[in-house]
Amino acid sequence: MVFYLIGLGLGDVEDITVKGLNIVKNCARVHLEAYTSILCYGLDKTNLEKFYGREIIEADRTVVEQESDAILNGADKEDVALLVVGDPFGATTHADLVLRAKQQNIPVKVIHNASIMNAVGCCGLQLYNFGETVSIVMWTDEWQPESYYDKIALNRKRGMHTLCLLDIKTKEQTVENMMRGRKIFEPARYQKCSEAARQLLTIYERRKAKGEECAYDENTMVVGLARVGWDNQKIVYASMKDMSEMEMGEPLHSLIIPGETHPLEVDMLETFRP
Amino acid sequence: MVNFTVDEIRALMDRKRNIRNMSVIAHVDHGKSTLTDSLVSKAGIIAGSKAGETRFTDTRKDEQERCITIKSTAISLFFELEKKDLEFVKGENQFETVEVDGKKEKYNGFLINLIDSPGHVDFSSEVTAALRVTDGALVVVDCVSGVCVQTETVLRQAIAERIKPVLFMNKMDRALLELQLGAEELFQTFQRIVENINVIIATYGDDDGPMGPIMVDPSIGNVGFGSGLHGWAFTLKQFAEMYAGKFGVQVDKLMKNLWGDRFFDLKTKKWSSTQTDESKRGFCQFVLDPIFMVFDAVMNIKKDKTAALVEKLGIKLANDEKDLEGKPLMKVFMRKWLPAGDTMLQMIAFHLPSPVTAQKYRMEMLYEGPHDDEAAVAIKTCDPNGPLMMYISKMVPTSDKGRFYAFGRVFSGKVATGMKARIQGPNYVPGKKEDLYEKTIQRTILMMGRFIEPIEDIPSGNIAGLVGVDQYLVKGGTITTYKDAHNMRVMKFSVSPVVRVAVEAKNPADLPKLVEGLKRLAKSDPMVQCIFEESGEHIIAGAGELHLEICLKDLEEDHACIPLKKSDPVVSYRETVQSESNQICLSKSPNKHNRLHCTAQPMPDGLADDIEGGTVNARDEFKARAKILAEKYEYDVTEARKIWCFGPDGTGPNLLMDVTKGVQYLNEIKDSVVAGFQWATREGVLSDENMRGVRFNVHDVTLHADAIHRGGGQIIPTARRVFYASVLTAEPRLLEPVYLVEIQCPEAAVGGIYGVLNRRRGHVFEESQVTGTPMFVVKAYLPVNESFGFTADLRSNTGGQAFPQCVFDHWQVLPGDPLEAGTKPNQIVLDTRKRKGLKEGVPALDNYLDKM
Repeated sequence: MVFYLIGLGLGDVEDITVKGLNIVKNCARVHLEAYTSILCYGLDKTNLEKFYGREIIEADRTVVEQESDAILNGADKEDVALLVVGDPFGATTHADLVLRAKQQNIPVKVIHNASIMNAVGCCGLQLYNFGETVSIVMWTDEWQPESYYDKIALNRKRGMHTLCLLDIKTKEQTVENMMRGRKIFEPARYQKCSEAARQLLTIYERRKAKGEECAYDENTMVVGLARVGWDNQKIVYASMKDMSEMEMGEPLHSLIIPGETHPLEVDMLETFRP
Repeated sequence: MVNFTVDEIRALMDRKRNIRNMSVIAHVDHGKSTLTDSLVSKAGIIAGSKAGETRFTDTRKDEQERCITIKSTAISLFFELEKKDLEFVKGENQFETVEVDGKKEKYNGFLINLIDSPGHVDFSSEVTAALRVTDGALVVVDCVSGVCVQTETVLRQAIAERIKPVLFMNKMDRALLELQLGAEELFQTFQRIVENINVIIATYGDDDGPMGPIMVDPSIGNVGFGSGLHGWAFTLKQFAEMYAGKFGVQVDKLMKNLWGDRFFDLKTKKWSSTQTDESKRGFCQFVLDPIFMVFDAVMNIKKDKTAALVEKLGIKLANDEKDLEGKPLMKVFMRKWLPAGDTMLQMIAFHLPSPVTAQKYRMEMLYEGPHDDEAAVAIKTCDPNGPLMMYISKMVPTSDKGRFYAFGRVFSGKVATGMKARIQGPNYVPGKKEDLYEKTIQRTILMMGRFIEPIEDIPSGNIAGLVGVDQYLVKGGTITTYKDAHNMRVMKFSVSPVVRVAVEAKNPADLPKLVEGLKRLAKSDPMVQCIFEESGEHIIAGAGELHLEICLKDLEEDHACIPLKKSDPVVSYRETVQSESNQICLSKSPNKHNRLHCTAQPMPDGLADDIEGGTVNARDEFKARAKILAEKYEYDVTEARKIWCFGPDGTGPNLLMDVTKGVQYLNEIKDSVVAGFQWATREGVLSDENMRGVRFNVHDVTLHADAIHRGGGQIIPTARRVFYASVLTAEPRLLEPVYLVEIQCPEAAVGGIYGVLNRRRGHVFEESQVTGTPMFVVKAYLPVNESFGFTADLRSNTGGQAFPQCVFDHWQVLPGDPLEAGTKPNQIVLDTRKRKGLKEGVPALDNYLDKM
């Protein structure tokens, strides 16, 4: 029959579209993708189950990436849905799943919803003026990639805003556990605006030490966004330096480094000064 | 000799130029421990009262029973050189000066820290540990058997560690009494041994090296002769002294005439380099003839002659000794005439380096950090006031079960009771916190054979024991007070743990005791590996059958104290490839956004050995390394410069090369690919054994645009999969370990040896007679897998006349495709997988290889 990819939006259970809700209620099986984002109630599926009045199967990273057949299984005979926080084709795409479904001649339908990629418009910056989106990766002692800096620099050069998605680590294994094949996961961690700002400033220091001209400095104004789409959403407009010490509260956070701004954008941003 | 108090010893420790740290090394049964006894009886600090007991340094009951040394044992000896001999101590860092009556004089007291090490190859890791903490080595060779396989192994190690050797020809009594060799024959025998030793020295070191000339040469006095059993020994110096007055020449000049082709004409009283009818070799005439005379007189019970000799040589016999005759008298006679202790202590004091001399050239070998930092400079100058740098080379069990003394050498600074120090394990990386503890040293102790003595502190240049650090180190490590100190280099063993057994407790309830016991066993032996398999199996891996036997006995009786069930021994294998992958293998990350393209190919012959031997090293400067690889192995220089890493464990004999062209953000995934490589090379695709001799090439990489989608979680398992696929497409093979076996036996037994070897897939590659003896030496290669019970088998087939020494030599490809059912390697792979509790059968290629 049909394999549905349904966006859940950003806020709480009620953010699902009416169309999506109807499909969920009628599907034979409903899976919930549970590793790329969270809703305001965490991702406890009981809340969803109560609201939809039906059973939901949680699908972690391993299932979605490596055992996708378990999700698609039977989708040729009955309707199956996969619930995705935000929009199914937002930050994390599920193209591989769609390809697999198509290979098996299973029709795919997508029910869209709000994604952080468009919801950031709430801070007043125009979506038209955004450049490439980057993810700020949580650094470890050994692994400190800086490649996203180059993209930020390019965006800045062209006068475009950069949306920085901040890393979340749910269901991550240590290398040792991965090697031993043990399903022991590290506690979930979410990067905060302050950490991301500190990291960006570290890169700034490193580049400066190498004598490079940097695309930003500690006085560059940035926008921190927390829990967009939730009831307690918070937006702050501050310098990179202030941001590195800003407490934005619970996850999820995002950060925007504005490029050239229109006066109207500035007026909007000014309202978010702390 | 007086018994010294700890305070007096402590005072001696400060005179660092008068310290000699030395090990006694040799082939098994060449008489190290017996020889050591004569040193102990000559000089002794606390050991003095106990001297005379045989094999003092064999402290364990089983060592005494089997007459074999298993663990190395340290003792400290003090001895005073006669003032007249002080002129032979040369070099500014070789002696301390003291002021006597307003005049400066060389100090004549020497503190000798001696380590007696085992000779059996299975325990050569103990030798390695002993060499690390000493600066000189007394190489003992049985002059009847000559230079044997283990002599070469230990000598090679000594030279690699920059340990200066002196030679001692032991068992001269056997040559004289049993073989009845004539003087000239005996000279030739000695000459040959000296040459053999020098060939080994020249092969692994050179005279222009930092140690200076290290060849052994009787005419300069760094070769001793004698019998440890009978307690007598001499160098040419002893004899030169006897004649110096008569000839009216200096001792060192005369010594040159007493060795080699120097002949003395009795009529003209002139020395010459060619032999005439009238002349006789100096060594035979002046050294051997008198000894022969004594032997002849005493052994043939010529009382008058004996009495005359006693008189002439000024030997004072005790009253009860005057009635002795034959062999007992000979022992007493020789011991009083040429006391072994004196001779050897002189050799040690004259020819072995003091810590001050040795550390100057050993620092660069020992220290991993920059050679100009504070620690390096302090080591180089053996500075007791610098930061503490101490290397722990082994753990010695205490009487308190489960606790160990950490035994090692202080290279700089002082280690003191109650001080706080950094304990850096082998995996410590400067600036990180892993494998690093900052703890208090509970107690510093002196180790004296089977006794220990607490001591306040121990300064640089000395060997020390520590209490209270055993729980932070597994086998060895670095102790320091300098916060930026790098590690002291870990020891390289000449043997590998290739034989393994599985153990379990007879009573399952004893499991915790077994686990605890295994941990203790791992500490107590420098090399043994105790592995806890995922399947719940407990594995002990050792160098050979004897090593394992001792380990199991220790485990059962001392460490776990429970009855054990032991499996039959099995060997470790290695996995390798025979050709280049038949395609460029592709694997996709779980999220399908990242793709790795790789191949595997065999390394050129010899490269894996060079990596294991340290010639090609993960820590080398990459340009220098690339040059070696290009010159010796015809690697492309640009490629050879782009070696990402060695593996497994960052140092193993497999390479990961980056042969990509212009891939963006490759550096960001490098660490993840490296982690996958380490994983894959440690646990090979066939049977979870280490890989060996495989070169992996990363050809191309396609990555997701965003860094978050190409993290370790995505890349590490993908890298492992692509490497597995690369191996499976490159004709994988198993490597099995092979022993070099050296067997000494009489001619009649040689036939029996061939029979036994043939049955066990062994093949002989050398057979020769030991010149001057009726003994034959047979050298052969024997797969370790076929070596179980070999010794017993050999004995029963040769009437107990053949004794083998097996030492791990190389890895060899086991013929046959391990992927093809019915072949021998396939059977081994299946058995190994079953034993390890892995999925049955080698996983198919499509588990690892993805389609475009």
